[in-house]
Order: sequence, then structure tokens, then C-alpha cells
Amino acid sequence: MKIRPLSALLGVALALPALSRGEARDYIIAPSRPDKLVVVDTEAMAVDKVIRIKDAGPTPMVPVLSPDAKTVYAIVNRSESVVKIDLESGETLARVDFSTPERRVKALFGMDISPDGSTLAIFQTPVKLGTTHYEVEPTSIAFYDAETLELKREAPSPRQITLMMYSADGAKLYAIGRNLHIFDAQTGEMIEERPIQGWENDKRTPPDVLAVWSQYESSGVMSIPFYSFLLDKEPTDPEAGRTGLFTLDRETGESVMRDVEAMDVFYFSTAVNPAKTRAYGAYNVLQSFDLTTGKPIKRVALPRSYYSVNVSSDGKIVWLSGALSDVAAYDAETLERLGHVDLPEGASISLNSVRLFSRPD
Amino acid sequence: MTSLSRLLLATTAVLLGAGAARAADGAEVLDSACGACHAREEGGYDRIDAVRKTPEAWDMTVQRMGRNHGVSLEPEERAAVVRYLADTRGLSVAETEDWRYILEREPVAQDLGPNARMSETCGRCHSYARVALQRRTPEDWRHLVNFHLGQFPTLEYQALARDRDWWGIAQNEIMPFLAETYPLGEAPPAADLDLSGEWPVAGRQPGRGDYAGLLTLTATESGHDAALRLDFADGSSESFTGSGALYGAGEWRASLASPEREIRQVFALKEDGVLEGRWFELGRDVVGGRLTAARAGEGAAPRILGVSPGRLRAGETAEVLVTGVGLTGELQLPEGLTAEILSASDREVKLKLSAPEALGAVSLALGEAAAPEPFVVFGALDRISISPETAISRVGDGGGPIPRTPAQFEAFGWLNGPDGAPSTEDDVFVGRFPAQWRTENFDAAAEAMRDADYAGSIDQNGLFTPGVAGPNPERPMMANNIGNLKVVAEVEDAGRSLQAEAHLYATVQRFVDALIR
Ligand code: HEC
Ligand code: HEC
Repeated sequence: MKIRPLSALLGVALALPALSRGEARDYIIAPSRPDKLVVVDTEAMAVDKVIRIKDAGPTPMVPVLSPDAKTVYAIVNRSESVVKIDLESGETLARVDFSTPERRVKALFGMDISPDGSTLAIFQTPVKLGTTHYEVEPTSIAFYDAETLELKREAPSPRQITLMMYSADGAKLYAIGRNLHIFDAQTGEMIEERPIQGWENDKRTPPDVLAVWSQYESSGVMSIPFYSFLLDKEPTDPEAGRTGLFTLDRETGESVMRDVEAMDVFYFSTAVNPAKTRAYGAYNVLQSFDLTTGKPIKRVALPRSYYSVNVSSDGKIVWLSGALSDVAAYDAETLERLGHVDLPEGASISLNSVRLFSRPD
Repeated sequence: MTSLSRLLLATTAVLLGAGAARAADGAEVLDSACGACHAREEGGYDRIDAVRKTPEAWDMTVQRMGRNHGVSLEPEERAAVVRYLADTRGLSVAETEDWRYILEREPVAQDLGPNARMSETCGRCHSYARVALQRRTPEDWRHLVNFHLGQFPTLEYQALARDRDWWGIAQNEIMPFLAETYPLGEAPPAADLDLSGEWPVAGRQPGRGDYAGLLTLTATESGHDAALRLDFADGSSESFTGSGALYGAGEWRASLASPEREIRQVFALKEDGVLEGRWFELGRDVVGGRLTAARAGEGAAPRILGVSPGRLRAGETAEVLVTGVGLTGELQLPEGLTAEILSASDREVKLKLSAPEALGAVSLALGEAAAPEPFVVFGALDRISISPETAISRVGDGGGPIPRTPAQFEAFGWLNGPDGAPSTEDDVFVGRFPAQWRTENFDAAAEAMRDADYAGSIDQNGLFTPGVAGPNPERPMMANNIGNLKVVAEVEDAGRSLQAEAHLYATVQRFVDALIR
């Protein structure tokens, strides 16, 4: 494992704005194969801690931090279990296995914790395992007590849900599926639906969305790239394919679907800065977008593919990770590469969500 | 034998007939090993009697029972139960007719579903042929689709699924369509035939040329011993021996080897008693040939299996070999074509043909037996094309476990036909022609990556051999030896140079392979 203090890499002049003692410091938590949660200290540019989880393979997937950043929850065990882990000791405090011999239940991508830290909402897709045949069962959102991991209630939900996010006041639960589904967080009842695939259907093909990266914590804005084709253009026209950005603000509840550029490259995921003025998209390139004008700003090529994006709490650094086994820092303004931290054992992060959290020094 | 071919043999040995146990044992395995979960009720075994499929599909299911449900069988038990299931719950050859390419691993085939909805829903992870080669009760089609989403829960999140109500469509459109289009019906009785005898064969191995030959089958306790001799038009010949078995109503599967290579035969026994299909190299199934065979002997219905070459240039003389059985009838030629019979037996007639003028497509016959394809007397070609128009090759070897997958191209010669216009219904297919082969970068992106330099090379028999697997340090970004290529053939014909192009995707390995892709 290489430890590369950022200051050593950059020299004094380019060093990151120093955080004085007592202030919060950003950490990144990255699930990596087959059973690890790796905590990276972004200031020291070093691995802070490696948490190993029993029976977690082939990989932990979605980590969720408690509001006080003392506890981390993660989907593990072929997406069939959730664990509660003490971030300090790395100890597993509780675990729930969703599946039984008669019923296999997977939690694929959607999990969030209520802002008061009391409830964990998990999207689940079950199948009944008969002796000689299987039966697909309706999907649901399961609400667990975040303290005990006891199941509090279940609410039916549409299928194909990926990401979930609580509203800032904890009253609503947003779920991304083929549309934006909004649930009453208390009753679990679906109270509103806003179009994603149904957006501008008179003008364009239904937007294609692959949203599996939970990475909205530093801004409170969920942001998802989507792709569609304009109906009034020839498919061969380079302007016909369009990249769009969906954003959803957990504070205001406002959601926007906007067309940002011609589809010349793909972004696996995007994230928004805390000021809510910029979005960053990554895959084979890193791209910044101006959210006030809805226009692209700058693009740089990446040395390899990165799937996930996080923006630091001060908005100055964009963290790329996913696919392989490192976390890389880019200047949020110039998109220059600042450095990277390799995760232990070269274990890949694959498609997992990588989270950012702050903790007092 | 290489370690890979040993591995492949191990995974496919079940269908090779070698040592396949007798039917009675298969019934026993079914009862003891499968009946443990699949209860035997009035209508038969739960689920197992709600479906009919090909021997390959039965083997895939039995393999899954082992992999996913802990059903462990000895190789002989697996072979026996697969054979028993294929014999008792198989398809008729007619039911497989449009989809045999997937069993034969025929590289020149297009896998098309009945409509875009079915292709996008059921033909995107595997061939649509895999679906169309099964028959089930409505309930069992529902079970199958439930199995898919239950087993692969991310299925409804993939491209061509996440943009629609996949499960709604699956229940409301796909399940009813499958139930109506591919209903269970009745299993045809197993043929259970003694195929012993001599079977003259005719066919062609793309890249090597036409052949005639002899397939000799001898019934044994568990199937048939098989010997195959191929005499190629280029003067070379090859002899294979091995064994095989007839599954169900007419599915011939055999495994043979020559000193150079191991091959597998996937033939159908047609209603008229003809064996027809394809043989291919084990581990390199792009290389192989189509073949037709008919049993010779007393009372064999006269039949021409092949005429090689199937064309003659006007003003020239050519020696033409007619292969078949019962070839005792009188030679029938159209006006303008004259023949000298060089030799004649009931299986082989050698002719010296000449024609002063172009006649186009004409028919040849010996008594009752007509040649299967028209014979073409032509002056000059109007155009050529390349078959296949689009192909995929795959990198391999390079220290990895997966061999390279080559691509085989052929140049076809054409006449414009009566309407004088190219590429219309009445065009006349003249046959395959030797060509000068080369590859070029397909487009600017390929040019920039110099794909043509790295992706592999094509020989003068039209065989493209891709590059080795793994990152290539010479390429930008250490790219793999993949590429997007144009394949160009040039044929010199009657003093003219004719050219055609095809598209080749030189891509990555197929990491997961199945008996039915
Ligand atoms: C341990 C229990 C078990 C045993 C033993 C078992 N199966 Fe199954 N079988 C299942 C289950 C569970 C399914 C449904 C899930 C699936 O399709 O994989 C199934 C499904 C099937 C199906 C329907 C699947 C399809 O798509 O066609 C067939 C046919 C079948 N089994 C045949 C067999 C045969 C033949 C054997 C014996 C070699 C066997 N099974 C032994 C559990 C079993
Ligand atoms: C996500 C990819 C995927 C899609 C989409 C898909 N399949 Fe499959 N299918 C598979 C795989 C993988 C298997 C092999 C399962 C095994 O044997 O382990 C399979 C096996 C099968 C089989 C053979 C099963 C047996 O045991 O005989 C049939 C028939 C089939 N699929 C039909 C369908 C139909 C019908 C659809 C459309 C509803 C469909 N498939 C869509 C992946 C897919």
C-alpha cells in the first residue's frame, strides 16, 4: 500500500487549504472486494482503517453513515444482508439476513438512513423459492430500526428502484425508479410521482437511467445522468443523442430534469458540490457542469475508468473511485489530478457506492 | 490431446454418445436423483413433464440442477439421464428446423426473434434460438420467466429492461406469447434406429473447399461407432473415427478425431432418411463444414448429395464429381451442355462437362435424382459478395485458458440474372471463388488505434486469426488486440477485378460459453 501525503505530492504552494485542528475532516469510505470497508483520510491522503466484515462476499455494496458518523451500515452477503458497524472499533454490532430458505430477498442499490438516525429504509426484491420452481414477489421498502435492526414495517413499492434518499426533514423518502417515486416516510405510502422516463415524451425517447451510486451526502443533492434521443432529429445527427442531468434537492424537494449536452461520451455517475452550483460526471472522462446555466464547463480525459464521484465538503476537490482499487483527487476548478490513494490488496471497488463523511478532528 | 480439448470434452462428453448408458438406467436416475425434488404425480414428474427440449438443453438443465441445487451425478448417470430425457421429452426435427444453427454452432447465421419485443426481452443475453427450441405448458413458461428474474434480480435493471416495465411486459405479453407459440404438445417417439451402414457424404468446409467422402456407422450396445473419411476437392483427405448416438426423434451427436483434430457432429436425421448438419472442431467451432449423408445399399432411393464444382465457365471444360447413392439413372443435361462420363458407380459419377455458351442456372439429374443445387454455366461474374457480411472474432491464448476464435470468410460469385440488376431476387449464385484477402481499418477511430495492424491477420483462404489476449504494451492505453475492421476480397474474373467488403468486429473473449449460446 502506498501512502502519499497530498502535501508531499503537490508542494506547499498547491497544498489543499489546510484544515485547522478542531475542524471537521473529510473521510471516504469505499467498499472493496470481498469483505472490506476501507476508510481513507482525505487530508493525510492515506488509508485510515480497513474494516473486515464476516460473510460479506463477494463484496459489500452500499455503505450508509449514521448522521453522527459513528456508525456505518452496509449491504453485504450477495445483497442479502445488512450489517451495522461501529466505525471506531470496526466491530459488527448487528446484522440482519433478509433471506430464508424459502424466500430469497435482495437489497440491490437503495438504502438510506433517516436524518434523525432512527430508521434505515431498504429497497428489497424477493423471490419465493419453491421446491421446484421460483416465484417473483412484489418489491417493497423495508424500514428497520437503526439501533436494533429490527424490522419496523414494510411498504409496497414499484419495481426497478435503485437509489433512495430521505428529505432533509425526514418526512419523505425519495426513490429513483423509472420515475421519481415519493413516499411518506412514516406510513410508507407513495404520495407523489414525478416523470423521469415519462419526461418530454413528445420530444424525446424515454430517458435511459442507470443510477446505482449513492453519493449525494456532501451537497444533499442527488444527481443522475440520463440519456435520450430527440425525436425530431435523424438518429445519425450528432446532436440527436442527448445527455441530461436529473437533480433532486433533499432540502427543498425540488427536482429538475435538464438537457446538458450532446451525447458524445457516457458518464456512469455524477455528484453535486455543496454550493449546488456545479455537477461533476465521470467514467472515461471527468466533466464539470454549471448547474445555474445547465451547461458543460470543462472536460479532461482520465487515465482509466472511474465510476463514482464525490465532492469534498469545501467543494474544492472531486474524488473519483470505483471500478478498480484507488481513490483519486481532482481539483474541482481545473480538473487537474492531484493525487491518489491505493486501497489495500488491490481489491476492486467495482460498482459499489463510495461515500464521503466528515468528522471532527 | 490438449488440456483445453480435454476440458471441453469433459463438459460435452455427455452428448457424444461414448459410453452413454442404456435408457433403462436413465429412467432410474430420473426417479432416484430427480424425483427427490420433482414429485411424480399423475401428469408425470413435476416440471420435468411440462417441458420438451433438445439434448443440449436437457444437458444444460441437468448441469444447473448440479450447480444450483446440489444434484451430484456421476458422468455416466448424467449421460444416461440426459439421453433418457432427450429420448422421451425431445423435439421433432421439424420443430427444430429454423433454429438448428445454434445447435450446429453455425457461424453464418442470424439469430432473429419473431419481433423486436421478443428479441429485446428474450434474445439479448442468449440466442433467441435457445427459447424457440423449447416447448412448455403455459404454467411452465411462467415458471421459466419467474426463474429468470428470481435468479438474476439485476435483469430488470439492464439496458433494454430498465427503460420499461419489464416484469409487467414479461407477465402480460411475453408469457402469453411463449405459451401460445411454443406449447408443450406431444413428444415424438424416439427413433431408436440401427443406422449401421455406409453413408456417402458431400459438403464443404469454408476456407478449404468442397469434399465428398464416406461416413461408416456400426451399431453398438450404447450407440454407434463412427468413421468418417473426407476427400477434399483440393486433393487432400482426412479420416476420423469415434462414436455417436441418435437422441430422440433424430438428433445425431458424435465425437470423432483424426490425427490432427477432434470434431463433433451435430446432424439431424430427416424424414427422408438423410443425415444433415454440421461438424466442427472442438474448441474452435468456427472451423467445420456442412454435410449431407445418405445410406447406400440395396434399395437406397437414388439421391444426389453434391455436385462439385457446381459451375462451368462457358467455352471451357471441367471435371465435375457427382456424389450420392443409387446413382444408376441416366444422365440428364440441359441443351447446350455436353458431358463425357469418365467413370460411374452407384455412389460417384465423374463427368467431363463443356458448354460453348453461358446458360445461367440449369438443373442436372441422374434418372430420378436431381442435383440439390442448380448448376451454373456462366461467362463472367457480375459481382462478388463476402459471406458472412458481418463477423466476430475473439482474442485468446496469450497464456490464458481461452483459445482464439477465428473468423472464416468466403467470396461468393454472382450473376445479375434476367433483370440485369445486381442484388435482386433473380440473381444467380455461381459459387465460392478464390480471392485475395486483406483487412483495413473500418473507420477513423480504428485508423487512429491502428486496428488493422494489431487486431490479427487474414490468410488467403479467408481465415482471420485474431491477436492474442491481454493488454498490448505497443498500443495506446495498453489496449487489447481488439479492432473494428473492414475485410476486403478481390476476385480476378475474366480479366476483371471484382471487390467486396465485409465487417469484422475483432473483440474480447467469450468468458462464459454454453452448449446452446
Ligand atoms: C434439490 C432439489 C432438486 C433436484 C434433486 C432436482 N431439481 Fe430440478 N429443479 C429444482 C429447482 C429448485 C428448480 C427451479 C429453479 C431452476 O430452474 O433452477 C428446478 C427446475 C427444474 C426444471 C425446470 C427448469 C427448466 O427451465 O426447464 C427441470 C426440467 C428440472 N428441474 C429437471 C431436473 C432433473 C432432470 C433433475 C435430476 C437430474 C432434477 N431436476 C433434480 C430442484 C431440483
Ligand atoms: C439477463 C440475461 C437473460 C435474459 C434477459 C433472458 N435469459 Fe434466458 N437464460 C439466461 C441464463 C444465464 C440462462 C442459463 C441458466 C442456467 O442454466 O444456469 C438462461 C436459460 C434459458 C433457457 C434454458 C432453461 C433450461 O433449463 O432449459 C430458456 C428456455 C430461456 N433462458 C428462455 C428465456 C426467455 C423466454 C427469456 C425472455 C423472457 C429469457 N430467457 C431472457 C439469461 C437470460
